[in-house]
Amino acid sequence: MNRTVLVGLCAITLGAFATLAQAETIRIANHGQAGINAMKSTVARIEKKYGITVEVVEYPSPDKDYMTKLLTELGAGNAPDIFSAPTTAYVADMVAAGYLAPITAEFKAWDGYANFYDVAKQLAVSPDGETYVMPFMLGIQEIYFRRDVLDKAGISTEQPKDWADLLARAAEIKEKTGAYGLLFPAGVSWGTGAFDEGFQHLLVGSKTPQLATEDGKLDLTGEGVKDVFGVYKELIDKDLMPTQPLLGPEPWVIPKYQMFPEGRLAATTCGSWCYIFDWGRESKNPIPDVEKAVGTWTIPGQTGGQYVLANLAAPWGVNSKAENLELAKKVLMEIGSVETQVSYAAQIGNIPASKAAAQDPEFQKLTELLPIHAAAENGVYLKQAAGFATVAEGVARATEALLRKETDAAGAQAILVDYAREILGEEAVK
Amino acid sequence: MVRSTYEKRVARQLLLILSPSLLLLLAFVIYPAVYSVYLSFTNEALTGAAALNPRFVGLRNYSRLLHDAKFWNSLLVTFFFVVGSAIIGQFVLGLISAILLRRNLAFKQLFSSIILLPNAAPEVVAGFMWISMLAGGENATLSRIVMFFGMTPTDWLQTFPLTMIIVVNTWRGIATAMILLTAGLSTIPSEVYEAARMDGANPSQIFRRITLPLMMPTILLYMLISAVSTIAVFGLVYALTRGGPGGATEVISIYIYNQSFTAFQLGYGAAVAVVALAISLVLGIAYVRAMKVQL
Repeated sequence: MNRTVLVGLCAITLGAFATLAQAETIRIANHGQAGINAMKSTVARIEKKYGITVEVVEYPSPDKDYMTKLLTELGAGNAPDIFSAPTTAYVADMVAAGYLAPITAEFKAWDGYANFYDVAKQLAVSPDGETYVMPFMLGIQEIYFRRDVLDKAGISTEQPKDWADLLARAAEIKEKTGAYGLLFPAGVSWGTGAFDEGFQHLLVGSKTPQLATEDGKLDLTGEGVKDVFGVYKELIDKDLMPTQPLLGPEPWVIPKYQMFPEGRLAATTCGSWCYIFDWGRESKNPIPDVEKAVGTWTIPGQTGGQYVLANLAAPWGVNSKAENLELAKKVLMEIGSVETQVSYAAQIGNIPASKAAAQDPEFQKLTELLPIHAAAENGVYLKQAAGFATVAEGVARATEALLRKETDAAGAQAILVDYAREILGEEAVK
Repeated sequence: MVRSTYEKRVARQLLLILSPSLLLLLAFVIYPAVYSVYLSFTNEALTGAAALNPRFVGLRNYSRLLHDAKFWNSLLVTFFFVVGSAIIGQFVLGLISAILLRRNLAFKQLFSSIILLPNAAPEVVAGFMWISMLAGGENATLSRIVMFFGMTPTDWLQTFPLTMIIVVNTWRGIATAMILLTAGLSTIPSEVYEAARMDGANPSQIFRRITLPLMMPTILLYMLISAVSTIAVFGLVYALTRGGPGGATEVISIYIYNQSFTAFQLGYGAAVAVVALAISLVLGIAYVRAMKVQL
């Protein structure tokens, strides 16, 4: 009997030691196969460097579904230690909810900090002045046009000078080739893309280029907002932009993966990844010699000027309720390394936020991204404020009404303002 | 009256046997429902400042509902959806199927299999299957059919969104209607039909004067189950249209989801859910009263 008890006690003691000896685990949320692949080498490096286990928790792929699950878990207090937000627009609201731990001190003390583009550093600063996310990748969008189609029709491929010039070019394309002249993502099905990939690019070159006021409110009643909706309105009413596919459940598929490669759509906003994944070497429907056949314009301003709008692509942050905050912050700094940035650039096509990436041999192989990386130096950005995610949804609803020809520019602005007031309250909207 | 020891023991045993079910009901039905009512009086959110410090806002969410055109739109869409698919589509086709299956039809097994098949596919799979049939362009199934008859193809989910979700939900619900109504039909004694025929009643008179009145309790029960479950339909509509385009198919379940998990306003979403629950309860009470009158 005594012997049995002794053996039992030994087993319990050994079990306890084994548990204690197990490596500490950091849980990372990730979604989309490309994102998971991009993090593989980083995960291995972190495990080796800190002697910990990194558990990658796979989340649903579409951004909306990912955010719903992540926010539900954050609200319930059982979210992973480290996670990303799909775009900058979500960050201020996540900070206001207390989900993110501040990393200002660690980020500034980190040896990679000095090499980051200013625009990335500024985009990472929240309205309260603290930094909560690692701004390691930039999303840079431009207008991509079919140079071959325009050349053949004798249409100028010069950079449009202003909005009027851009719209006139779109009309000329339609008239001479029959193809749609220009696409800006719009509608509810496109999700935050209506804002991130279209609306805000025009807004930064408008008469009222910012939405966030000094006191942290949202000013959606500016003349620029109405004028941006006016551009959509003109494109839609003159049939310069395809509208029917944008009302479907996957609105990007037909215009970007069918119409543009076939030359039935001659110009569209797109991100740096388009040369590689949408129409380039990784595409299922590639355009031959894509870098020659497809040219880029920066987004012109309303009355002139050129704007390279930068966004944070998948900014990563630390859960404020992470069990080991210090360790989680160290892991976050590893995610910000040039190696991870280059891995993301190769897998997803976003632009590294570090200037040092330009010297990385692996990044130099991504010839399509090099000029865009250099242009990030002059990137402009929208100042962040709580409620940007709501604005993005409001823009989606307003542009959907335009797509359905149910309203005009002023009506679309009213839809946006009403939606923001309804969701955020009167006090949050100027 | 003093209960005997035996009765007390039986009561205790019954309570013991029922307690697991009661506990499950409490945990997964009663508690969430009560919590939803509590949430509807707060500004609880999934993100933003309200997620950190939710406040009690009294009846503000309910007063907002009254002025929310999208909420009223979702109620109207839900009304058409329930009437179109549950009350008319599923009931009429279910009744026809039930009557046909009582006869000695050729290929009876095949016919009943076809009717039951929609229930074999999960909601979302069924939704995606229908998307491929109703999509725009010349390759979609329905477009090909209408082109065969010389008509112009269209994107059916964009041009006739509400009609399409009614059609799809009808397709999916015929089997349930058929099973329930077959059970109802089987309770009518064949002697009644024989007597009617001997009295010279024609098939139309037999249906109107015998079948329908005798089936009324089953029909009302079916209407109750069908209306309440159709109000709660989510997956099929979400997969097909996500409530679009422009709110044309935003039934109340989609509206609740959009408020709670797209706009992240849990408090407001809960208020809409409470109203939906109240509507279902009112419907339920109305049907139960009607059934009592019938019985």
